Amino acid sequence: MQVVAGSVLPPLTIELTPTVVISTALATRDFTPVHHDPAIAKAQGSKDIFLNILTTVGLVERYVSDWAGPEVLFRGIKVKLGVPAYAGDTLTFSGTVATVEEDEAVIEVTGAVSLGPHVTASAVIMHRFGELPADLAKPRA
Amino acid sequence: MSSLSGRTAVAGIGATEFSKESGRSELQLAAEAVFAALDDAGLSPSDVDGMVTYTQDSNDEIAVAREVGIGDLSFFSRVHYGGGAACGTVLHAAMAVATGAAEVVVCYRAFNERSGRRFGQPNARLSGEPSSQGLEMSWHVPYGLITPAAWVAMFARRYMHQYGVTSEDFGRVAVAMRRHASTNPAAWFYGRPITLAEHQASKWIVDPLHLLDCCQESDGAVALVVTTTERARDLRRSPAVIAAAAQGSGSGQMMMTSYYRDDMSGLPEMGVVGRKLWEKSGLSPSEIQTAIIYDHFTPFVLNQLEELGFCGHGEAKDFIQDGGIEIDGHLPVNPHGGQLGEAYIHGMNGIAEAVRQIRGTAVNQVAGVQNVLVTAGTGVPTSGLILSQG
Amino acid sequence: MTDLRDHLMALVDKAVAAGEGPRLAAPHPVNDTMISHWTEAMGDRNPLYTGPEAVAPPAMIQVWSMEGLRREPAAELRRPVDDVFEALDEAGYTGVVATNCEHTYHRYLAMGEKLTSSTRLLDTVGPKRTALGEGYFVTWNVTWYSGDEPVAEMMFRLLKFRPIEKVSREPYPLTPAVNGDTRFFWDGVRQGELRIQKCGACGELRHPPGPVCPSCRSAERTHIVAGGTGTVYSYVVHHHPAVPGRETPFVVAVVELPEGVRMVGNIVQYPIEDVYVGMPVRVTYQEMDDELTLPMWVPTQEEV
Repeated sequence: MQVVAGSVLPPLTIELTPTVVISTALATRDFTPVHHDPAIAKAQGSKDIFLNILTTVGLVERYVSDWAGPEVLFRGIKVKLGVPAYAGDTLTFSGTVATVEEDEAVIEVTGAVSLGPHVTASAVIMHRFGELPADLAKPRA
Repeated sequence: MSSLSGRTAVAGIGATEFSKESGRSELQLAAEAVFAALDDAGLSPSDVDGMVTYTQDSNDEIAVAREVGIGDLSFFSRVHYGGGAACGTVLHAAMAVATGAAEVVVCYRAFNERSGRRFGQPNARLSGEPSSQGLEMSWHVPYGLITPAAWVAMFARRYMHQYGVTSEDFGRVAVAMRRHASTNPAAWFYGRPITLAEHQASKWIVDPLHLLDCCQESDGAVALVVTTTERARDLRRSPAVIAAAAQGSGSGQMMMTSYYRDDMSGLPEMGVVGRKLWEKSGLSPSEIQTAIIYDHFTPFVLNQLEELGFCGHGEAKDFIQDGGIEIDGHLPVNPHGGQLGEAYIHGMNGIAEAVRQIRGTAVNQVAGVQNVLVTAGTGVPTSGLILSQG
Repeated sequence: MTDLRDHLMALVDKAVAAGEGPRLAAPHPVNDTMISHWTEAMGDRNPLYTGPEAVAPPAMIQVWSMEGLRREPAAELRRPVDDVFEALDEAGYTGVVATNCEHTYHRYLAMGEKLTSSTRLLDTVGPKRTALGEGYFVTWNVTWYSGDEPVAEMMFRLLKFRPIEKVSREPYPLTPAVNGDTRFFWDGVRQGELRIQKCGACGELRHPPGPVCPSCRSAERTHIVAGGTGTVYSYVVHHHPAVPGRETPFVVAVVELPEGVRMVGNIVQYPIEDVYVGMPVRVTYQEMDDELTLPMWVPTQEEV
């Protein structure tokens, strides 16, 4: 696969069941009640429990690496947070290759929920063995 | 086809006092103004057979007729679009008189716009109904873009950006109007001129508009009597002949929010009015000695001078420099003080002033007045008028 | 207000000058159990994270130093940034919303590595007027070490805001009238889509929409979803009079979209005095009550 600026990543849709919201919060060791206790979340003015930030960053990594494959290493991930991603909503990731340089590429990612963009992110990736990004591995099935 | 030009005239004008609290009903204000206009003309209520007002007026023609003692009516009509109706009422009256639909038509506007329903206050119901206007407002009102000052400010910011106009340029309009009002005993701001520094220091209403860019909400009423020029010549007052009257709406027109046209820095609807007025009257801007330019907010005075051809687009800021529109300037505008200085009676008080200027009886009389141009509400479909010596 | 700001900025200066705080030890070394919990929950099947040569997912970096349940940092391990948070809480800036998180990975981590982390305050900016209420943006940096080697960094920014007092879910008073000609737009907004009417026959885009195409007379309507960017074409700052459902002052703008239409909307989450004609913006959405969502605009460049 040729990675060129402007290439579009296949979209990824994640149904944000309560299980997803809670299991990711606990797997990131974030025990803040708004991520697992609907009554407390609502009492604090939220519609429901919602994704924590550590998970948002984790899902951005997963989205890019699902596409790029295990030969690619992450140099950095920057996220800007938008509307909350509530349980019961659907989170849809889309992405494009923004820039491709000799030793790294920048992927821009948006994760949208029904209320609008939940996250806009950019991930800097490089090939594991220092090969040209243009030779990035094919996506896994 | 015969022209309307010159065939009809304003034969009488009348008004109540202008205040912040009239202390009486809008219907009473209307009746008082109509009585005064008929007395001015030397006509009696039984002479009246036609009536015109604004769609926004809360006094039905028949209600005013009952109070005043007007009997049979063979013509009644309403003109839409807020203050844009002002000169339109005279156009409708003149057409009725010229065609014989009626002989003596009274135009009136009466409201307790300060002590009753204030136009300057937000009204959440503006966007409430799925009428064409409610739907139009629904693209603006939900965002809090809900007051006339805000609607005008949106145009003003773009105009400033496009032509390098400043808040001080708007301030010069306010200073001129308040100077004129300061010597007009009928004006709310009689004896209270302002400086440009005071304008600049006044609080923001809707940035870029300061408090002193906005007219005062007022209570009051004004009425006019329109009849044939021939008949007017036999009445008490010398006639103010209607040399031209026109309405105007532009492409992509909305009520105060025509933000979707290619160019947002003009008032094309006033351009329509201007072209009609010049064509029908055979006059040109240089033949106008004084103009009554609708001034509910200062910025649109500049736009109107441009649309009417008194100067080119973007040139109004220079036109109004150095007292250009003050009583001793090259085009005295609103010698009575306008709506910024005298009162906001939805433009109707400006028509009365134009008649006084033609008669030579204004408190701030401009010398040698032959022709006066009058405009109506801006940002909406509007209207205009040229009155001439008869 | 000035007193608070001065007090706060003194604390900020002190905290910034203090530089890195104490290095806190991560509760657990990098380990395959926590990694597999994480990859399962995330749905991440990257083979790099399993097997004898496994490395840790880089995005997990912050997980290693999470304090866990019931764990309070010891008093002597208080971070410099904590004084700033405490002062903001006391002044009523109790609301918190994270705005940015930026990870930089120097290298991947192997099983068994024992990490420490250290925080230093970068800056605090405010008070800024935001859609949530007035607040301060606090930005800090965390560095993770393996031994003395820095292995990852994180810049984190959040807004500490004074919540706007309002009865929750009070109906928003400025509702639009909606009919069959305009419903598609409001439905779209609720779904996070900014829709522009498109003529089904000639393809002309039009906003505000209407039932009949003025170019070709077709009443067949469809729509496109706008890219969500635009430029401020004109704007106002509303100060007076009070507007129901709104806190003054607020900004309303005419936004020109690259699709070729203009729309009116509010500029939010941005200092009012910094708005200008020509400013690039992108759409966001705000739930006004249970029924109404409004599109709003924020500057494209995140400025804090």
